[in-house]
Amino acid sequence: MNQPISIETINEAMKGMGTAEMARSNRIRVTTGPETIHEALTVIMGSLGCDRLITISTADNGTAFELFYHLTGPHRTIISLGTKLSREMPKIASVSDILLSAGIYERQIHDLFGIEFLGHPGLKRIILNEDWPADEFPLRKDWKRGPDTFYGGIKEEKI
Amino acid sequence: MTDTLLLLVYIIVFPGFIFLLAYALFFEFLDRKISARMQHRVGPPLFQPFADLIKMLGKEVIDPDGVDRHVFDTAPLVALAAVMTAFLYIPVTGASPLAFQGDLVVVLYLLMLPTVALFLIGWLSRNVFSAVGGIRAVTQMFIYEVPFFLALLTPALMAGSWSISDIVLWQQEHLWFMVIQPIGFVVGLIGLQAKLERTPFDIPEAETEIVAGPWTELTGRRLALMHLTSDVSLVVGSSLIAALFLGGPALPWTVSPVWLNWIAGFLLFLAKTLAVLLILSSMKVATGRIRIDQLNAIGWKYIAGAAVVQVALVLIVDYFGVAV
Amino acid sequence: MPEVVIPIGPQHPALKEPVNFRVIADGEKIIRLELDLSYSHRGVEKAAESRNFIRVLPLLERVCGICSHSHSTAFSKGIEEIMQLEIPPRALYIRTIIAELERMHSHMLWLGVAAHEIGFNTLFMWTWRDREVVQDTLEEMTGNRVHYGMNEIGGVRCDLTPVQVNKALSRLPNLEERVRKYVDMVNDQETMLIRFKGIGKMSREEALKFGAVGPTARASGVDIDTRRDDPYLAYQEVPWNVVTDTAGDVYGRTRVRIGELFESIKIVRYCLENLPGGQIRVNNPPKNAPEGEILSRYEAPRGELVHFIRTNGTDKVERVDIRTPTLANWTSVAMCLVNQNLADIPVIVAAIDPCLSCTSRITIVNHKNGKPGRSG
Repeated sequence: MNQPISIETINEAMKGMGTAEMARSNRIRVTTGPETIHEALTVIMGSLGCDRLITISTADNGTAFELFYHLTGPHRTIISLGTKLSREMPKIASVSDILLSAGIYERQIHDLFGIEFLGHPGLKRIILNEDWPADEFPLRKDWKRGPDTFYGGIKEEKI
Repeated sequence: MTDTLLLLVYIIVFPGFIFLLAYALFFEFLDRKISARMQHRVGPPLFQPFADLIKMLGKEVIDPDGVDRHVFDTAPLVALAAVMTAFLYIPVTGASPLAFQGDLVVVLYLLMLPTVALFLIGWLSRNVFSAVGGIRAVTQMFIYEVPFFLALLTPALMAGSWSISDIVLWQQEHLWFMVIQPIGFVVGLIGLQAKLERTPFDIPEAETEIVAGPWTELTGRRLALMHLTSDVSLVVGSSLIAALFLGGPALPWTVSPVWLNWIAGFLLFLAKTLAVLLILSSMKVATGRIRIDQLNAIGWKYIAGAAVVQVALVLIVDYFGVAV
Repeated sequence: MPEVVIPIGPQHPALKEPVNFRVIADGEKIIRLELDLSYSHRGVEKAAESRNFIRVLPLLERVCGICSHSHSTAFSKGIEEIMQLEIPPRALYIRTIIAELERMHSHMLWLGVAAHEIGFNTLFMWTWRDREVVQDTLEEMTGNRVHYGMNEIGGVRCDLTPVQVNKALSRLPNLEERVRKYVDMVNDQETMLIRFKGIGKMSREEALKFGAVGPTARASGVDIDTRRDDPYLAYQEVPWNVVTDTAGDVYGRTRVRIGELFESIKIVRYCLENLPGGQIRVNNPPKNAPEGEILSRYEAPRGELVHFIRTNGTDKVERVDIRTPTLANWTSVAMCLVNQNLADIPVIVAAIDPCLSCTSRITIVNHKNGKPGRSG
């Protein structure tokens, strides 16, 4: 199973869930909708032979949040599964039940972007400090630092 | 009158408290210097331990909230007094003037008190790390004390006396116990390293695991006194091993002017304790720390086993009346 | 003893950087732990969005001290791929040399720290003394002991003179002999063996499930190495091997890292001897990058480093998403620590070679007077 996967195999496997396109020799991107994430990931982990999650990347393109799940396996092709989430309701099912390593990435994305992962065992603060205000998500494009908001830590004293 | 005066000089000046303190600080310097050179470092200058002591005595004493101040103040003092008293029974220039039958047991008992003091300090510190460290100190004490006592018992058995000075006298007429009872010698050294809580047995004070264990909340003069206690224990332990196994400050023949005998004995004492220190320092540098449950396994299986074998051998030799 | 919460961190002698584990222990056995990584977050990803390519490279380099070259190389090669630039071979070789020297100094540092965690200070002093040889070489070549600043978009900044090359080559045999001595020590030193063997064991399936990367995963028999799986720089032209082990415990990870030290010495020697001539940077690289998206992977000393870069046609990057190897390895630490002894926490944590400045990336700059405020 150490041959790179061809784009036809992926298109075949992902029928009904999304389309694939080749970015370069061993990188294939598949776009799908947020509802089919679980199913798509199960197929990728199963018949397409991927056995580990590299990372979950996020980007904010102004109108929507984009999530990319990058997976790879012994065939050394990277399959990037991308979805778009709307800004008003950024919710998606958590995949930490099929991919245990996704848990820590989802916690971090939740802290920084505010995307909610339904079914995640514990979406506590991991990368921002505990007294960061609960509704500010710094990596969103429309986040501006409030001049009088207290972001946690020690207050600066005016001497 | 001169006898009492001489006794007081013996206790307080030489080889009593002042000499002991100076020698303890010198031992600490040597230990640190040898370890440093073995690790390809420079090491401290000669007066570093003395400077450290003076500095720590002058630092602020911090009492954690709700801690019993009186125990914290007296425990280091009791520990220091115990080990300093133990030194008085060990022959330095010849037989100790305070020797009596059973002083070996008294010395061993006094050497146990610092560990008990450390446990008390750890337990009363109201700090998780100190409590865990104190428990480890007492657990370690249970594990090594049995083989250590047994190993120090065998010279007494063979020499037929419970006084350290008599054992030294016996070795003057016969061979050193290191030659006759090598297993006991090795077990004694290992037990001493564990008693002094040095690597590989510095489990109670494991810096990378529990901050400083029971030493965490000691500050200022309490820390200075406790540190001095461990230095003095190093001297007392080394001289105990030197007296029991290496023949102590006694030449195999007596030299005619008495004062020359004393000086020769004292120089021998220095040489032998330094030899023991060299062995202990090499042990410290060449190993890493083991875990308390691993110490439990090794201690009861191998070290206590070896000590029991040694005692059995001595008893068998004694039963068959084999003369050495 | 009943259940007790032992705070490991944020300040603790076993940790070189602040992280908070709250360990819930029953006597000396660990039941579970809770993780909090927020202490060194500096908001690097957000800051990178407002800096052009020249200014963003020093920023990304300072994500971490020990793997600084990894971050800047991963970013530069990502941008260069979007811009479709052809990098001259001399620049690729120089980048490889610096990358492998960085791996060597990082692994030696780790060996010393792992020995220190078990109280074996002699090995700590010796490995750090030998690490100075690598640092001297790096300082001669780049001018710095950490944060080398060698990369720029289109190539490297400084060239290697023949004098530097010869000096570096002359230091390698001695270093190799010292590393062989450490192999002997690790294989025979009893206290190291009993403290490292069997601790933090992870089977191959567990390593894949927890998402471990780098030497942590390779020690469990998972055969992944980005230098071979997704070749970049000069790794396809240099003969080298991937080091794996089957033990899966801290001892296996030690053996993998020492094996990688030997491989790195081999790679550096080959690259120094076969350094191609020519330019060290592309003439006039473009200022703006076309729109594109790329996943740039790099094998940092601690594992697989991933930069997800999206550009939008300007000279600033639209999004850089950094996934550091330590973040990927934290899950494996949290799962391996359960049911181990309290005394093994520093050993297991140190075995993944944690680099918390990589993991958390906030300082709030007070925009009124430009001074950084404090966070957490």
